[in-house]
Amino acid sequence: MLARVANNLFWMGRYIERAEHIARYLNVNYFSSLDAPNELSQSRQFVLQSMMFMVGEPVKDNTIILNEEEILYNIGLNPNIPYSIINHVKFARENANSARDLISTELYESINKFYHFVINYSIEDFTKKGLYDFTVNVTEMTAILRGKIRGTLLHDEVYAIIMLGINLERATQVIRIINAKYNDAVKAKGSYGDKIGHSFEWITLLKCVESYDMMRRFYKKTPTSISTLEFLILNPDCPRSVINSINQVHKHIRVLDESKAPNKNSTAFLISKVKGEYEFKFAEEIEEDIQSFIEKILHNLLQISVKMEKEFFNY
Amino acid sequence: MSFEYSVTYNTENDYENPVENASWQFLIVPENNDTQELVGIEIENSLGAKNEFSQNGYGFQTIRINTQEQFQKLNFRATFILKKTSLNPFGQVPIFNILDNYELAQSLDFKVDFEQFLGQTKFTTLPQDSKNLFVFDTTLSIFDNLQKLNNWVYFYIHFNTGVTHVNTLLEEIINNRAGVCQDFTHLFCALARANNIPARYVSGYLHQGNGYFGDAQMHAWAEVYVPQIGWMGFDPTNNILVDDNHLKVAHGKDFKDCSPLKGVVYSQGDNKTVHSVEVQAQQ
Amino acid sequence: MNQDLKKPIFSSYINNTNLFDEVFDPNGIAKNVYQKLFELYGNHSIQDYVQLNNKAKSSFFNQGITFQVYENKETQEKIFPFDLFPRIIDEDEWEIIEKGSIQRSKALNLFLWDVYHDKKIIKDGVVPLDLISSSANYLHQMIGVDPPGGIYNHISGTDIIKHSDGNYYVLEDNIRCPSGVSYVICNRTALKRALFGVFNHYKTHSVTNYAENLLEILESVKPKGVDVPNCVVLTPGMYNSAFYEHSYLAKAMGVELVEGRDLFVENDFVYMKTISGPIKVDVIYRRVDDQYLDPLEFKPDSALGVPGLFTAYKKGNVCLANAPGTGVADDKAIYTYMPEIIKYYLDESPILNNVHTYHCSRPDELKYVLEHIQELVIKPVDEAGGYGISIGNRLTKEEIKVVQEEIKQSPRKYIAQPIMSLSVHPTYIDDTESFEQRHVDLRTFTLLGDKKEFVLKGGLSRVALKRGNLIVNSSQGGGSKDTWVLKK
Repeated sequence: MLARVANNLFWMGRYIERAEHIARYLNVNYFSSLDAPNELSQSRQFVLQSMMFMVGEPVKDNTIILNEEEILYNIGLNPNIPYSIINHVKFARENANSARDLISTELYESINKFYHFVINYSIEDFTKKGLYDFTVNVTEMTAILRGKIRGTLLHDEVYAIIMLGINLERATQVIRIINAKYNDAVKAKGSYGDKIGHSFEWITLLKCVESYDMMRRFYKKTPTSISTLEFLILNPDCPRSVINSINQVHKHIRVLDESKAPNKNSTAFLISKVKGEYEFKFAEEIEEDIQSFIEKILHNLLQISVKMEKEFFNY
Repeated sequence: MSFEYSVTYNTENDYENPVENASWQFLIVPENNDTQELVGIEIENSLGAKNEFSQNGYGFQTIRINTQEQFQKLNFRATFILKKTSLNPFGQVPIFNILDNYELAQSLDFKVDFEQFLGQTKFTTLPQDSKNLFVFDTTLSIFDNLQKLNNWVYFYIHFNTGVTHVNTLLEEIINNRAGVCQDFTHLFCALARANNIPARYVSGYLHQGNGYFGDAQMHAWAEVYVPQIGWMGFDPTNNILVDDNHLKVAHGKDFKDCSPLKGVVYSQGDNKTVHSVEVQAQQ
Repeated sequence: MNQDLKKPIFSSYINNTNLFDEVFDPNGIAKNVYQKLFELYGNHSIQDYVQLNNKAKSSFFNQGITFQVYENKETQEKIFPFDLFPRIIDEDEWEIIEKGSIQRSKALNLFLWDVYHDKKIIKDGVVPLDLISSSANYLHQMIGVDPPGGIYNHISGTDIIKHSDGNYYVLEDNIRCPSGVSYVICNRTALKRALFGVFNHYKTHSVTNYAENLLEILESVKPKGVDVPNCVVLTPGMYNSAFYEHSYLAKAMGVELVEGRDLFVENDFVYMKTISGPIKVDVIYRRVDDQYLDPLEFKPDSALGVPGLFTAYKKGNVCLANAPGTGVADDKAIYTYMPEIIKYYLDESPILNNVHTYHCSRPDELKYVLEHIQELVIKPVDEAGGYGISIGNRLTKEEIKVVQEEIKQSPRKYIAQPIMSLSVHPTYIDDTESFEQRHVDLRTFTLLGDKKEFVLKGGLSRVALKRGNLIVNSSQGGGSKDTWVLKK
């Protein structure tokens, strides 16, 4: 496979996954805040700030009053904002375009439909009444795309590269969401005297990554900070957990690098090393200094991506 | 008699911004022909990149360098050792039947065979009002006319560096009456072709031991096809026939086919290029 | 709702008997090959048809079979307009078209070999020297090069019309990078889905075998010493208007679709950059024009090409299809000599007619052209895509004067032909919600390889969607129809 095309497929996977997480974050935060148990969590400003934090543009000045329509438009449909969903979908399709000869017609058709859905969505509808409809459609369409990727592509290196993109991005986005919700929990703590460990925000966090139901099934208890972190970071059976994503990355890199004992400068070696490190972590240790944990793992994921680029996508 | 020459070609290229990816092609290797034989080559470049031998679209030998490494400066130096046989340019001129000579040049076969060197190119297009700058005297032989043309161009243009540049067209050269060897050669070729004589642009090195014009750069002259003789070299910059001081590298329709350095560089911003050439005769 | 929509589809069809209608005879009766189609189709209402048509359109749109249009700085994606009412060509007529297309391709190939070698045809005075010496597409670098298998024009597209006299005429030979074949295949797919009930009443040749034949042709011209050649399609990139076709062909052949930046040349061999290192490339079906192929040899600022590619080709280490310099033979001035060229190399009479052509470079013909502009089509010899064409009887007096001046200024640049009356075919027109007569031509696709030749049994019928318009190019608002070639 051409190095350039591999790079495009990798990023196609990443953009699809990124669009999904942002869309769901908007949806869950907005709608669960409506009947949140305390005033701050119900406040529009609080929710909008959380959204900006998650897309990487935290509002540092608390006195600024955010305009809801503007924020939603920017994150959803503003073509001039780099982190907008519409841009991620555009990029995903552009990447798919250049690899069109390698992917199935079915997958391409779904990406194309997705693209047309997003670019034709009325801005007026979206900012006034369509948030639910738009974000649900985005998350469902990305699920269809994952289905088409799994179900219509040959499980060879093309598939491996797309899955590497998807899983690296998933791990990154889940961490970013944890970071954002942790930040919300810290902010909310002061306002109603609740302990951070039992914040309402942990439930929102789990819903943001579609893991609330399964978490309840697994622990049979109300989520706490410890159990949430444990589930979302360390539980290998949780499909959205960081360790699950890293395991997937580890599995798919073996398709590209079949050597039994990977060279110590290779991507495969680095992935194994990162995997080993998180396999033997425990939640209490993470909670002690969650901020540096987040920074460290984001750094690890970036390193993997950079290394892959150098090793496989250099053209 | 034979001489040995040592030719050194040197270039320094500085780029304003770092270059990521580049290819260069040097058209600077003296060709092997009846009068010259290349006996040694030494090449070095500051990037430590591989020097690859290839050829251009017309079959002349080139040196190519490709690099993926980032850099801002490229120095390149090549030294050629050449054996040159002495030749008397007048030795090959037979006595002509003048009429036959012109008739041959007018035949369709001749025009078809030499189509490549009879047509106009960007650099050899004469302005509308200069088409008749030099008209052959058909009472003289083609060879005699070419000698007169050589002489005419030599006196028409003033050798002057810095007036023209590599992209100067004939109109400007004719108006300013100044230029360097490239400009002399383009005008010579254009006028020979205007008189239906195939002419080609030659690039090479000139041994300046005899005080010839041409600076410390590559030199240019012309070759014309004289019916019944073949290709002959004329150096209008020096008003001489090509002799054993002329070391040929390549020929083409005009300068564009013979450009000594072509680069494909993926970078933004300016770059500065300096070339220098040194030709030394060794006894 | 418009009541007319419930009427049968041809109820409001106006059969202008001055035009050559391919479906209806002057009495309004469907011709032989169309009778069955008419029986099955004719009872549908306009409304039914519109529904089918819209479904087919959205399927094109969703598959991304589109091209980009730039309007007010915004890019819009549009589908290539197409019409569900097919064109049918019976086996006898097709035989003429097929044989004629191959004959032309072979003659052009021999012509190309000749002008890049001994130039006998010019020395024998059959065509003027001017044809090559003043052609921008004649590459001196190709002189003396022997392309693998002796093939220059591996892929040719021949534009053919049916004149009001009922005969086929060739309008143009396209042998640079003719496009459109992917639309043939897409049209067929769309038509089969929409009209399967009609389709199975006809024995129609398949068009899906194009890609496998193209691959065989490409493999047949592999460089010497290569067993199993690695073929690729070279595209200018996804912003090229024909990118869909490039990706379709690569996918259908199962080969890589590469851009210039994916390739590099080392020691005069060509390699592509893959995730597992460099892999040698042997045959390149290039959809990049000559001037952009190699920045070291042609346009120095071309970012679409590969430095050193031309020398690799010249040394015989890689094959380019079509060969560089092939464009010299699809100059419209060469077209006018086609009967002589066919006679000279093949000693045959042309199977397909040429339209009579006046050369403005010849003084007597120039005089005729200047005096008869109203009856002629004036074409620049070096433009493609229908640009710069003037149709005499559509010009105002002032416009005629302008054209006359332009021709006088540079007679070599223009040729003129009698205004050919292209046949018409019933075509659904959105604006009037009815079927109307529209002019149509046919582009055939001919492949030439080492001891192998192939003509796609089908082709792209292009329709001029504007009423009365004779120019069918998609860049000029043309659409297309599926073309059925019937089996014997």
